[in-house]
Amino acid sequence: MKKILLVISVIALSIGLFAACAKSTPDTATNTSGNQQKDSQQKDTEDQSSSSEKQKITVWAWDPNFNIAIMNEAASIYEAAHDNVEFEIVEMAKADVEQKLHTTLASKMTEGLPDIVLIEDYNSQKYLQSYPGSFADLTDKLNYNDFAPYKVELMTVDSKIYGIPFDSGVTGFFYRSDILAEAGYGAEDLNNITWDRLIEIGKDVKAKTGKAIISFDKSDGGLMRIMLNSSGLWYFDAEGNITVSNNEALKEAMETYKKILDADIIIPTAGWNEWVGAFNNGDAASVISGCWITGSVKAATDQSGKWAAAPVPRLNYTESKNASNLGGSSWYILDAAQNKDLAIDFMNEVFGGNVDFYQTILTNNGAVASYLPAIKGSAYSAADEFFGGQAVFADMGKWMNEIPSINYGLYTYEADSAIMANLEDYLSGSKTVEDALKDAEAQLKSQIQ
Amino acid sequence: MLAPLIFFDYLTQSIIDWGIIMERKLKKYGLIFIAVAMILLALFMFYPVLYSFYLSLTSTKLGKTDFVWFANYKRILTDPLFWTSLKNTFVILLIQVPVMLFLALILATILNDKSIKFRGFFRTALFLPAVTSLIAYTILFKMLFSYTGLLNTTLMRINLISEPIEWMSNPITAKAVLIIAMIWRWTGYNMVFYLSGMQNISEDIYEAASIDGASKIKSFFMITLPLLKPMILFTTIMSTIGTLQLFDEPMNLSQGGVTAATIGPSNSLLTLSVYIYNLSFKYVPNFGYGATVAYVIVILIGILTLIQFRVGATDDEKEARKLKKQNRREKRRA
Repeated sequence: MKKILLVISVIALSIGLFAACAKSTPDTATNTSGNQQKDSQQKDTEDQSSSSEKQKITVWAWDPNFNIAIMNEAASIYEAAHDNVEFEIVEMAKADVEQKLHTTLASKMTEGLPDIVLIEDYNSQKYLQSYPGSFADLTDKLNYNDFAPYKVELMTVDSKIYGIPFDSGVTGFFYRSDILAEAGYGAEDLNNITWDRLIEIGKDVKAKTGKAIISFDKSDGGLMRIMLNSSGLWYFDAEGNITVSNNEALKEAMETYKKILDADIIIPTAGWNEWVGAFNNGDAASVISGCWITGSVKAATDQSGKWAAAPVPRLNYTESKNASNLGGSSWYILDAAQNKDLAIDFMNEVFGGNVDFYQTILTNNGAVASYLPAIKGSAYSAADEFFGGQAVFADMGKWMNEIPSINYGLYTYEADSAIMANLEDYLSGSKTVEDALKDAEAQLKSQIQ
Repeated sequence: MLAPLIFFDYLTQSIIDWGIIMERKLKKYGLIFIAVAMILLALFMFYPVLYSFYLSLTSTKLGKTDFVWFANYKRILTDPLFWTSLKNTFVILLIQVPVMLFLALILATILNDKSIKFRGFFRTALFLPAVTSLIAYTILFKMLFSYTGLLNTTLMRINLISEPIEWMSNPITAKAVLIIAMIWRWTGYNMVFYLSGMQNISEDIYEAASIDGASKIKSFFMITLPLLKPMILFTTIMSTIGTLQLFDEPMNLSQGGVTAATIGPSNSLLTLSVYIYNLSFKYVPNFGYGATVAYVIVILIGILTLIQFRVGATDDEKEARKLKKQNRREKRRA
């Protein structure tokens, strides 16, 4: 009796295992709108019965409050105009999107892929060049003159353009006008300044008000990227050669990091939450970052009217401008996508032509687009009460046009890691800036062989 | 990677045991039943293990995969980031594992004393960290040790320090935070192993020892420790394997930077497993080179486990090994 039971249970178990394998539904990702999920399930069953069914566009992205919300908005606009289309917008963590995309593309399976995927700009060249032919060539499909040139540059490989430029990471110097006024600085004193000037102001502010000028994470490469991008230089030149030890702007950026630390004008933080917390609770008088930070700035509603925005500081390096970029991402269409042409049409119609859509997402989500005609829209010119009536988004649109175009190349993360690891040794005084740059270059070379 | 191997060993052993019992009667059926498990094992265990070794002999660059023989293993020798991650992993291993196991042993000894009140409560309290999620406790420790965190605030209130300590911005203190967090998480877990081991030691031995005039400390060193040897060996091996594969904690302690370029300040929290992740998913993907680093971990775990088995062997086992060697030598002579 016992044996029979054992045999039965083993069989049952193995059947269960096989069934579980066969039925594999790898998507653990959550569908953003419950209704859509229900709809699509219904549609799935209908699909089997009749073939003249709705075509589905699948999208992968991260951040429910930003990218996902915006994509939902775009989808509803397109769905309203086209009967036979529906969307499945899949929300995943950013790391998960990247991981899934990597593994699926590397396995050369096209089945699990979405039609449209969001890729961070620092990563775009990596995907485009690592998986040639996997993304749809859109050179003739979109009017790229309508988009910010620096964004288009990032998605170009061999003069073919692959993506749909999305949100801009145009940077600004967002400051507490009340604190800086207390120290005697008006808007004019903060317009188009250099980093050195910022440090002087920071010392003055600290002496007069006791407040730190910024919250600062010294192992974070954000400011480094801002400084580099404003100079039109990167860790690599346009041909992809390493430009680290001979990079004037990079050297000055590292020295500026040290100056900022030595001046004792900052609140040291580790990680995003502390960094945001420091300016939200009024300990730091300003924040220098991409425009997407305004969402977090505005989270401190009690500070409404006490903020203002100025162009980002520049380096002393002669080519450096008071305009830069940090972060931002773009949409890409998979070449093997089932509904590739439909996806292109959708992108063209909404992201490449609907100015009103861009006003909506600016108002609702604070998304500064890289679609230039949108910047002339009403939402952009509106005065922002939080920033004391300043039309910050119109200003950002102006700055965006001045961002120097650079090609991030394939190895931004490798370079970042090499530089930030050696920067630490320079900051602690165990290496000179020249040695730190040399070591970083050596590490980078070994990483990208 | 080794944990499944150990499990597999156990599995084959039980299959063999079972097989011997059933041999005569159910040989045919036995094979059929084994087949199911074996096919699954082959598909999901052997194949990936072998394939990842094949992968470690290839190198991918820009969509092209080349078979490069052992070039990846050569590359590892001159890869500064690999050596950084190896060094970090070993520093964490050499500090965290002994401290944790020592603490676990002391706590287990204390809680094994029947005269202590609320033993059940303390046991549960000490074991509870082991059920928290890895991510949750890491984030909690990150908050505790932040610049304006609870620890800094407390230390300032009681005037031990005049300025907050930048725990997570300094390579040494960042590593210390990681080690402290891991000790908090895993001590209770190991303590339970020791407790169960101690409960198998007969009270009579302690009684006899105390009649002979042995102090508590003496009987701890002369009775408890030797009799716990297999358990200590087991926990040492498991902790070594766990630490060599350390991933969640450093990843989460360092994550959340605005751009998070390095894993901890100056890459001080970069462990081998995190490096594998970076090679495969963060950097320009080179799964081949990532697999090579993974195989280095396997080799390291193998070597360390072997050493620990040798060191932790009982006197009988040592004697047996000596005899075996002697026999072999004599055979060669003859």
